[in-house]
Amino acid sequence: MSFKFTWRIWMFLIIIFFSLIAIFGLPPVAFQNGILVKGVEKNSSAFEAGFREGQIITHLDGNKINDGDSLHNYLSSKYTDNSSKVTLFTTRNSEIVYFSNELPAVVFSEIPSTKMKFGLDIVGGARALVKAENKELSSEEAQDLISMTETRFNEFGLTDMKVRQVSDLEGKNYMLIEIAGATPKDLEDLISKQGKFEAKIGNETVFEGGLDKDIASVCRRDASCAYIEQCNKVENGFFCTFKFGVTLSGDAAKRHASITRNLDVNTTSQGRYLSLPLDLYLDDVLVDSLLISEGLKGVETTQIQISGSATGDAKATAIQSAEEEMNKLQTILITGSLPFKLEIVKLDSISPALGKDFLRIILIAGLASLGVVALIIFARYRKIKTSLALLLTSFSEIIVILGIASFINWNLDLPSIAGILIVVGTGIDQQIILIDESKKKVTLTLSQKLKRAFAIIIGAYFTGVVAMLPLLWAGAGLLKGFAFTSIIGITAGVLVTRPAFTDMIRKMEE
Amino acid sequence: MTFAFQSYFLRRANCPGSTPGPRINKMSENNSTQKTTAKERISRFHDKYYKHLLIIPLLIFILSIIYMSTFYINNGDFIHKDISLTGGTTITIFSEINADELRTALSSKLESLSVREISDFITGEQKAVVIETKTESAEAKKILEDYLGFSLDKKNSSIEFTGAVLSRGFFNQLLLAVIIAFSLMGWVIFLIFGKSAKIKMLTGALVLINTFLSFGVFNQSIAIISSLVVLFFTLGVYFFYSIPSIAIILSAFADIFMTLVVLNLFGMQMSTAGIVALLMLIGYSVDTDILLTNKVLKNREESLNKNIFSSFKTGITMTLTAILSISVALLIVSSFSAVLTKIFAVILIGLGFDIINTWITNVSIIKWYVLKKGY
Repeated sequence: MSFKFTWRIWMFLIIIFFSLIAIFGLPPVAFQNGILVKGVEKNSSAFEAGFREGQIITHLDGNKINDGDSLHNYLSSKYTDNSSKVTLFTTRNSEIVYFSNELPAVVFSEIPSTKMKFGLDIVGGARALVKAENKELSSEEAQDLISMTETRFNEFGLTDMKVRQVSDLEGKNYMLIEIAGATPKDLEDLISKQGKFEAKIGNETVFEGGLDKDIASVCRRDASCAYIEQCNKVENGFFCTFKFGVTLSGDAAKRHASITRNLDVNTTSQGRYLSLPLDLYLDDVLVDSLLISEGLKGVETTQIQISGSATGDAKATAIQSAEEEMNKLQTILITGSLPFKLEIVKLDSISPALGKDFLRIILIAGLASLGVVALIIFARYRKIKTSLALLLTSFSEIIVILGIASFINWNLDLPSIAGILIVVGTGIDQQIILIDESKKKVTLTLSQKLKRAFAIIIGAYFTGVVAMLPLLWAGAGLLKGFAFTSIIGITAGVLVTRPAFTDMIRKMEE
Repeated sequence: MTFAFQSYFLRRANCPGSTPGPRINKMSENNSTQKTTAKERISRFHDKYYKHLLIIPLLIFILSIIYMSTFYINNGDFIHKDISLTGGTTITIFSEINADELRTALSSKLESLSVREISDFITGEQKAVVIETKTESAEAKKILEDYLGFSLDKKNSSIEFTGAVLSRGFFNQLLLAVIIAFSLMGWVIFLIFGKSAKIKMLTGALVLINTFLSFGVFNQSIAIISSLVVLFFTLGVYFFYSIPSIAIILSAFADIFMTLVVLNLFGMQMSTAGIVALLMLIGYSVDTDILLTNKVLKNREESLNKNIFSSFKTGITMTLTAILSISVALLIVSSFSAVLTKIFAVILIGLGFDIINTWITNVSIIKWYVLKKGY
């Protein structure tokens, strides 16, 4: 018997193929050799040497390196005494010469075998749900808080973190912070201190963020005082400048005047600036320096303007990076001056100790239940092919869900996994309907029978989806994963896998 | 129709004498005749007593209501809430600690203490102990450290703390989610089996507008009240316009309600995961009802009983497959994950009731309805 592939089966196969690529990567990440750089401490000697997040180290001093342990052993035995040594790290497309007397401040990890991302409840870490004390955060305030927190955490070198806004059914806004590998104490400290912002000229502080409010306001999201000034075509790309206004308090303006009064004026190719720049510090770390224009020397003004520039290959990308740069500076300037205190309403620390066991148990449970399903189906229909097709379809639904989740970088947490289980359950139910309807001995044609079966399935599909919808908002979004995977799964089921299964049945019955 | 069957049966009975054939053939023929009669007998029994059968679910329902009322009077609530809904601390310690000893030693110091062991399903080896208490996390941690004699850190433990205000919010939101999910489900059912397009649009607008307002505009208590009002109003409308839809919605409600009663009977606590499972149950349990109603109402080429029986065959395969596979999964995860255990247990109980509510409640109501209208 020759098995003819219909377009539905083709579509099914293509989607499975792309899902597998999304999960395992192309070429599969599992076959890649080397060690992944997971995080680099900013302003460390490792950062200056050229280590960046995402690099893959293939060789160490010319020796091939494959596992984390041997890299760790090699480095820790090399940097035992306090003398400076050179280590040559080879990445895919560059070489890093690291010269120091201490271990590089880099977090290494082995390359994960799939592109799937797992939630904190599986990999471990800390999570906090934060709201403003005695105040409801507006969506904009929540966004400010989030970009501020992100900027600060970035300066700390915390990379494996997620900060996002969540809101509940009532429309209350929260900030959800998840940091893989952190302790709740770290997180609590980071959140409780709002962050310290200082602007210094030389060693003298001109103004700082915080309660006394040297910075009265920073113009943002207002095109009249914060804008992209102009874009010019330069050699290989575009060059855009931005400007935004800042209002200082009277005291800060006085301090600024007295400090700048004594500075010299330097002439540079871009214009005339004071001899010392304005250095911006976030939690005592230098994050940016601004040149002070000659016009501000010794002047007592509460209105200052900050400008900067960025480049890009095309005009659009140049504008975009200028906007990002502007945003970053604005965020730094408002740090410490949020008009509200923060309150942690939920603080979790999740140990990674059980994560691996957990995945193993889930896998065993999943396979065992699928096995039971296969047995029942075989006992009921006595057809190996039908049972196999059903198993295959269920299995492929799991692949499609995981593929989509990997593709959009969804973190698979416990609720998401529970959602996958439910998809498999409903999927099998619907396939049983298809098999039974196709076998009925009435005078209808097979197509008519299957169409009828599909009417039932569509009904069941919509009731399933609407039952899950409220979960996308309820519970401060912590249960979103469940709604997400189950809705994606049953939708993929109705649109892709079930039609293909129908066609397979049709071919088998004919 | 019954007569036609009987005459067929008689002719069949005459067959063996007139046509000699291999014995094995006769046997199988005899078997099939008996099967037909068994089916026939069930069919006749059902025709006679289907209304009486309704007494079974009705009795369970009334007992459930009585039980729930007394439960509410005694506990001031309809369910036992666990700390995910009341607020508190969960501490998981990854070492071999005797749960019973810990419980006896600390139950006076930690408020509403519950202790449970986690072990590997295959090796049986204890992996961890989970401690739940309403006591605040820092305090609970200190008390535990004093008892255990070592300090708890990221490597040897996980600590989750949820504030009471947030938890209460969680519960109300999830309650709202259940009400809205139920009301959306009801409308989808009416959309499929109801009659008047105008009424469908009207109720749809009502349900959707309420959903939108509850999610974004109303504050929580108003949202819950308005959602309940909309739910009951639309149910009233469906009752006048589509009895089959009401039969489905009723049996879905009975599934959830009876499941809650069983949870209370066994003293099982409700958690956020449990409520999520109730939402799953809404979607899951109506599948078989849709199958049944669709066949009975839309497949007029076959007799009523045949339609009911063929959907029963399909539906019971679906439900039993689900029950068996979930039982296996439950067995494996039960010693490991509280969240999945709760989800599976709730669905399992619900599916059990779904067999009664679909194949007795829903079947009887729709048979009654169809016969009254003339099939």
